[in-house]
Amino acid sequence: MEKYDVVVIGSGPGGYPAAIRAAQLGASTALVEREAVGGTCLNWGCIPTKTLIASSDLFARMNAAGELGLSAEGTSYDYAAIVKRKGKVVARLKGGLGQLLKANKVDVITGTASFAGRNRIAVDGKTAMEAGRTIIATGSCSAMPSFIPSGKRVVESRAFLDMTGLPGSMIVLGGGVIGCEFACMAAQFGVKVTVVEMLEDILLMLDADIRAELRKHMEGRLGIEVFTGAPLVDIKAGKTGVNGKFGDRTLKAELLLASVGRLPVTNGLELERAGLATTDSGHIETDSLGRTSVASVYAVGDVTAGSTQLAHAATAQGINAASDACGQRVPRAEQVVPACIFTAPEIGSVGLTEREALESGREVVTGKYSFAGLGKAMAAGETGGFVKWIADAATDQLLGAHAVGPHATELISEATSAVAAEMTAAELGRTIHCHPTFSEAWMEAAHAVHGEAIHQPPRRRK
Amino acid sequence: MPKLGQTVEEASIVRWHKREGDPVKKGDVLFEIETDKAVLEVESFYDGTLLKILVREEETVPVSSTVAFVGEPGEDIPEEATKPAPAPKQPEPKAAPAAAAAPAATKPAAPVVGATAAAPSPVAAPAPTAQAPARVFISPRARALAREKAINPDGIHGSGPNGRIVARDVEKYLADKGYGEIRISAAAKKLAIREGIDIVSVRGSGVSGRIMVSDVERAVAEKPKKMSRMRQVIAQRLTESFTTTPHFYVSVSVDMTDLMAYRQVLKEQGGTYTVTDFIMEAVVLTLQEFPVLNSVTDGKSVRWYGSVELGMAVALDEGLVVPVIRDADQLSMMELHDAARALAGKAREGKLLPDEMMGSTFTVSNMGMLKVESFSAIINPGEAAILAIGSTGETPVARDGRVVIRSMMNMTLSADHRIVDGRMGAEFVNAIKDKLEDVALWKSMT
Repeated sequence: MEKYDVVVIGSGPGGYPAAIRAAQLGASTALVEREAVGGTCLNWGCIPTKTLIASSDLFARMNAAGELGLSAEGTSYDYAAIVKRKGKVVARLKGGLGQLLKANKVDVITGTASFAGRNRIAVDGKTAMEAGRTIIATGSCSAMPSFIPSGKRVVESRAFLDMTGLPGSMIVLGGGVIGCEFACMAAQFGVKVTVVEMLEDILLMLDADIRAELRKHMEGRLGIEVFTGAPLVDIKAGKTGVNGKFGDRTLKAELLLASVGRLPVTNGLELERAGLATTDSGHIETDSLGRTSVASVYAVGDVTAGSTQLAHAATAQGINAASDACGQRVPRAEQVVPACIFTAPEIGSVGLTEREALESGREVVTGKYSFAGLGKAMAAGETGGFVKWIADAATDQLLGAHAVGPHATELISEATSAVAAEMTAAELGRTIHCHPTFSEAWMEAAHAVHGEAIHQPPRRRK
Repeated sequence: MPKLGQTVEEASIVRWHKREGDPVKKGDVLFEIETDKAVLEVESFYDGTLLKILVREEETVPVSSTVAFVGEPGEDIPEEATKPAPAPKQPEPKAAPAAAAAPAATKPAAPVVGATAAAPSPVAAPAPTAQAPARVFISPRARALAREKAINPDGIHGSGPNGRIVARDVEKYLADKGYGEIRISAAAKKLAIREGIDIVSVRGSGVSGRIMVSDVERAVAEKPKKMSRMRQVIAQRLTESFTTTPHFYVSVSVDMTDLMAYRQVLKEQGGTYTVTDFIMEAVVLTLQEFPVLNSVTDGKSVRWYGSVELGMAVALDEGLVVPVIRDADQLSMMELHDAARALAGKAREGKLLPDEMMGSTFTVSNMGMLKVESFSAIINPGEAAILAIGSTGETPVARDGRVVIRSMMNMTLSADHRIVDGRMGAEFVNAIKDKLEDVALWKSMT
């Protein structure tokens, strides 16, 4: 039987970095994957969706190019070609990842892993290897509750990505990150989109100002109908379309995209043979370094309880877990995790929302700055949205940052560094920012925390 | 500061209910004070405006000190009165304010909240414990530097005139402590300055030992906090007793099976006696047989008390109180029960008056309901012994060569060895035990 120091189960953004890290630290490492290296993120998540969104975004800009003095008459798109390009991007990344794993001497084993014992891993039911340490990184899959009928006109995100054509109309069930990203992308391609969210608003975890701004753009500019605060009921799926009831209204569309959440993948792992139990929701409980209740078993990413369902959080966890598994002390896991949402406009967010900060019992001050006030934004013709700092009134500490608008998913990284380093608003304001750039918004907003933004009329302070 | 009775010499202000400039009506609560025995609200005697507060929250001053002025807005305040409040034990300031300004109200209101205090004592009340902190002489520049660097200058050796701390002393302290090596986030430093945390003493948990906000927050949480007056008095009295009285301990286990069964019978007939009632009654009876246990010594003389003033320790969230059952030797079992119940109720509601917690001659401390098998108590100052009661539980014991299950209870006597010898202590606890195990006795008394 093969013996490995570290066996990683699942090769997504949590698993493969863990395997590479373990190999870097000199551990003999195996990576067991039942489908495709890269996991959901690379194959059916982050990467393919961003490829489609790149096309839809440019298409939207082409259609608005007149504002910049360009003429783009009779624009059109070939969705099949766009999907084909997506396939190529994914294939290329997958190939690169395979080589990277090989170069690091990680043995990639194809098959479904399960525990045969605390330190024994079976692949496809046959005991295959002894594992000094095991890192579970099996991720999550789309939830499909039974009230959603199955049928050709009902898809979840993974099936949607394989479609070679877009419907004329679409109901997106669930106004979370995945639902809103697909809704915006499809709407940019001209699909008539309706979003239904049971909770009081879409993307409820976001700062309220950011949510309001996004919803304004989705409804106003993209023409997406957004219904919130009640469930879609009596959902029926036929051969050519779907319909359901939201209150008194009957909603109809050619396609229903179900994006009502994701479930951890633990079935088939035979966790009980390792002496591990899951929570009622099927998640594995861990500490901040991914350690489970069994000393030799770690878990990272979406499969863990309290997961943020963010690829980059899984990566950080995976690296920490691998380091710890290889005996390298990790002083503490970084707790500041930024979030990015590729809607139109984009959203970036890190740290506390204004409400969370207030609920933590602090006195809170905020500073906001609109892209409309920036020379670069005007020059680029991208003036929608704003950035917002949340700061502690007592210590001036930057507790959170939120951006909605052009390049927000890139812009959030500067704010992440500032929040992670516990910078103060005054320090960030003193930091010299390139002119003219979108990043200047952070500097202006930091000044605005103290009511001292240069390019903003003085506001009356409370 | 109102006069609060014969023994109270000073009190501290817990909270001001009014701010300077607030209108004040006669009867309004002006402030709350705390003595070593109680917390009281003080009402205004006068209508007017609170012009000036002289004694801030948490400051302690002698009774009859001027703590504030109430008068008409714009009125002059006597200059000497606006000086900082006097330290305890200093002569009180002239309390003769200008005709226009009346001294702040001084009528002590009835005790209203948490009027609880430490163990009573027939000996002299302890000396006041509050001390003004030793003043640190420091130059303004040195103080500003210390503040900017987020360090505490109090412990720095001063090299200036009269030991005054000057800027170069702070600089030397920084160099000695390796201040230049300290890495700290900007927000953490601001928080440290704000909360008066010396960052030299904070261990950083960030990358390369960088001090983060959470580290300073931990230091803030660990900062020594002043104990309540009540807690300070408890500390002082127990330390005094434990360090000056040679304690020794004797334990016996008591078979409570028959008494518990009898109590159950009484209960079914509507009786309300508690286990503590029986124990206290047994103690009161036995003390009359062993008067030395109901006495006090200073090491040179011994004073036998003429009555049994039975202290009963009652645990509260904020500390321990010991209300006293007066003339317990004169009470019937039913009267003892009623007295104990009334005092325990008052204690839990925080309504005990200082007088009700003074003058005990022997104390019983029952932790039976707290699930301990046995413990040793510290003798209250002014007494010769204290009896500590553990819980009653089913225990296998040997009886007539067989193991049987009985309800057993441990009790431990702590006694002052200067006047109580081992033999007497042993006889005393066994006399109590014999009574508790003698159901016939209880049948005659209830």
